[in-house]
Amino acid sequence: MRRLILKGILSTAVIGSTLVAGLAFTGTAAAQGYPNKAITYIIPFNAGGESDVSARFQQMVFKKIAGVDAVIQYMAGAGGAQAWSQLNSMHGDGYTIMGINLPHTVLQPMQKDVGYKTDELTPVNYFHYTPDAIFVHKDSAFKTLKDLIDHAKKNPGMVTFSGSGSNSSNNLAQVRFDELAGIKTTYVPFSGTGPAVTAILGKQTVAGFNYAPSAITHGDKMRMLAVASEKRMPAFPDVPTFRELGFDLVGGAYRGLSVPNSTPEDLRHKVSDIISKINAEPDFKKKMEDGGFVLTDITYKDMPKFMADKKKEYAALAEKLGIKKQ
Amino acid sequence: MEVLGYFAAALTPFNLALALAGVILGTIIGALLGLSATMAVAVLVPFTFAMAPASGLIALGAIYTGAIYGGAFAAILVNTPGTPSSIATTFDGYPMAKRGDGGLAVTLATIASVCGGLIGAVSLILLAPPLANVALAFGPTEYFWLAVFGLTLISALSVGNTVKGLIGACLGLLLSAIGVAVVGGDVRYTLNSQMLLGGIDITSALIGLYCVPVIIDLVATKAPHLKVIEVEQGIRFFEALRLSMTRKFNLLRSSVIGTAVGILPGAGGSIAGLIAYSEARRTSKHPERFGTGEPDGVIATESANNATVGGGFIPTLVLGIPGTPPDAIILGALLVQGIKIGPTLFNDQADIVYTFMFGLLIATILMLPIGLILGRYAYKFIIRVPKSLLVPTVAFLTILGSFAIHSNPSDMQMMFVLGVLAWILERYGFAPSPIVLGLVLGQIAEQGFVQSYLIGNAQDAIIEMFFGRPLSMAIIAFALLTLFYPLFTSLRRRRRKAPPSEATDLVVKADKATLENYRDVPAIIFGALFIGLGVLAYMETRDLSPMGAVFPKTLSVALVLFSVMLIAFQIGRPAARKKQADPAAVKPSNIRRFATIVIMALWVALLPMVGFFVTSLAAFFCLTAVASFARPSARTIFTYMIVATAIVGTFQVLMANVLLLRMPAGLLF
Repeated sequence: MRRLILKGILSTAVIGSTLVAGLAFTGTAAAQGYPNKAITYIIPFNAGGESDVSARFQQMVFKKIAGVDAVIQYMAGAGGAQAWSQLNSMHGDGYTIMGINLPHTVLQPMQKDVGYKTDELTPVNYFHYTPDAIFVHKDSAFKTLKDLIDHAKKNPGMVTFSGSGSNSSNNLAQVRFDELAGIKTTYVPFSGTGPAVTAILGKQTVAGFNYAPSAITHGDKMRMLAVASEKRMPAFPDVPTFRELGFDLVGGAYRGLSVPNSTPEDLRHKVSDIISKINAEPDFKKKMEDGGFVLTDITYKDMPKFMADKKKEYAALAEKLGIKKQ
Repeated sequence: MEVLGYFAAALTPFNLALALAGVILGTIIGALLGLSATMAVAVLVPFTFAMAPASGLIALGAIYTGAIYGGAFAAILVNTPGTPSSIATTFDGYPMAKRGDGGLAVTLATIASVCGGLIGAVSLILLAPPLANVALAFGPTEYFWLAVFGLTLISALSVGNTVKGLIGACLGLLLSAIGVAVVGGDVRYTLNSQMLLGGIDITSALIGLYCVPVIIDLVATKAPHLKVIEVEQGIRFFEALRLSMTRKFNLLRSSVIGTAVGILPGAGGSIAGLIAYSEARRTSKHPERFGTGEPDGVIATESANNATVGGGFIPTLVLGIPGTPPDAIILGALLVQGIKIGPTLFNDQADIVYTFMFGLLIATILMLPIGLILGRYAYKFIIRVPKSLLVPTVAFLTILGSFAIHSNPSDMQMMFVLGVLAWILERYGFAPSPIVLGLVLGQIAEQGFVQSYLIGNAQDAIIEMFFGRPLSMAIIAFALLTLFYPLFTSLRRRRRKAPPSEATDLVVKADKATLENYRDVPAIIFGALFIGLGVLAYMETRDLSPMGAVFPKTLSVALVLFSVMLIAFQIGRPAARKKQADPAAVKPSNIRRFATIVIMALWVALLPMVGFFVTSLAAFFCLTAVASFARPSARTIFTYMIVATAIVGTFQVLMANVLLLRMPAGLLF
């Protein structure tokens, strides 16, 4: 019994001192010499999604660029709103950064009180986007975008597009495409990119509005008819852009990094710089481009203009989607 | 043989060590409430970047299969599924444990899990490419009918109490509609609170609905948690083996169901377990024993859910479509490592794929000795540990588990609220299982329905969409069979006047309370409450889009209808006579129950503000006091305090420093 008690005391002491040491460590954060300890990188979604995969790519070169590790944590819930609504209550010491997404952070607060407003968040760098793209099954009769549009014109409403979620970038793209091409199609929301792609592969829907990276994994079974990037993507040199085909559709899901609003200006710039430098890293760049991501370099300096443009664009589409403006 | 070469590659000491460590870690994580396979796999991913791809995959696969299996421990020993996959394990596993067969149940679960896991893994090795097409054959309509099929299990789960079961299912289905809808994007039933925006997390709801009532009732009496048979029986391996051998057909059928359901990307272990359970019950000679501790129930669920591991890897590796959430993470890890998924994977990178598959096979086999050893300790711990430590430990695990899912204190608060509601409802005959079934199947049913409707409507073929597809028809047929088969057999039995077959190899005593045919006044009151709830739920759908409204509208109408039926049945019965109190029964202590509820309420309310460690330690001490029935000596108190600090401290370190979860930023820590 005595030995047991002794053991208990010992283990308590060890645990206790570990805790104290841990606390002391967090206390030494200083703005100068930033960064000098691991940075916590919060993903507002579950593991395994595109936000996670791109963060994992960053994590692999993070140490080389920033000199410290990035520790990835997940805080999923309410399509990201759970995490974003808590962002500003976190420490603004530069050691907490959080993934931020568009159009989510513009559309969510428009629709309902989700605990944050678009302008309350502080994005410091949008580093890539996954362009929207139209896919059909490889056996499909539609070889080009024109084939699909002609069919849709003759059969209003009959063309079904699978896509990831309602009021998502896929959904916005479908609404905008209908408008630009003068057609009427049916959007069928699925609970994520995976099920939406499965619906195309299983021929449940006529076509799909999905994100370009899907073509990397499923390229042999699906045909990408057009992609909403500015230029043709290096990974898919044969796929035309919507612009080439005469439709002004550029966009997708944008991913970036944000910080709590208490983070000082100089640290915001520093975080933005780290992300930009990672973007310039050749190995990272190649992996991302091979994966179907389009790198962007929207730094903290460019942010006000970028956000103003995006907000205007989404607001116009949101009205068509029936999202009430509050 | 090339394939044998891959087998040898999987057998390197390093890979074996990884598989062993993975299974041990996975089993422990799975056994702890709320800590799921998904979380374990996510934490491990960065470590695998430093390994060869095949070794990394083996570690991930081993942890995954271990975690699915570990869920059975909690299901059997504390009536709480450690992961959603083992929901149906609680139906018979816990009754078995209660009557003293806990060791046997754990061993049965181990044997069944290994069998299921092996069949899943062998299917993966031999048949992956052709089987992957099953994933594509399932469209929204099939998922809708699959969910309906799952719901038919309610009729079996609530025999003699069907209306209450149906009401429970409606409640569960309505709960599943809370939050932002995937289809339509409507925000539903959030009562303008951010807490409900993300919807109700299924795992935290499971913990609350199943475990909180157990905790509350545990403190009420001095009686031990599980009945302990005087003679030391241990894990009863050979008895379990014999039982499994005589039930080999069930084992095989359930494993095949598990593999098939695992292939479907939208389904997963929970549905596989439920369907296998339902089929085992339908084909059993003693369906009435299910739910009272029938070994077949445990065998069916546990073999099916472990078979989903191998099954889930089939679409993941062949098509790049993750079969289950942990598969999604593993797929992400593969992408980061630069491995291209698809049919070419099996040719171009056959060494990686086959080494991994054999690694999974080996990990599954390792589960047998590890499971038996860990199971033995888990069972001994549960029956030996004094109640004054068991109650706070289990309560602590519910708090920790529900918090850990998303590092979100509101999940924990939701868990507690649902748990107290479930405790109240259970006292009046509304069992938690139909609610859970509704909650788990609700989203699948709704998404499948709305998607089918949209596609059918676009094609002008709504009826054909729902009833014209061969696969759908097959599922509908199975659902009808499950629903009406018991009726059919009892009719036939009555005609033949054959006596119902008696117990064969294991004495299973139906422990059901005799049905009282008197008026149940609380049921009438609850009926009235639910009518009100249904009306409110209906009114809330007014502002929703048609897509978002159809499901909750239908359910609120159903809830009102079933509640009216409940009241009508009860009013027709004669008024109850005064119940004769059994003088021998020990009067349960309501003060202790109440104190437990208050302590847990304060715990979940204060934790985000004060901090995880301090609040939990304080609550732990308080619950120890509530669950102590004799005045402990100073030495015992001292030991308890040290044990409490050690348990809470260990988990604090585990969560913050190993699993790297975000801990609440409270005033203290």
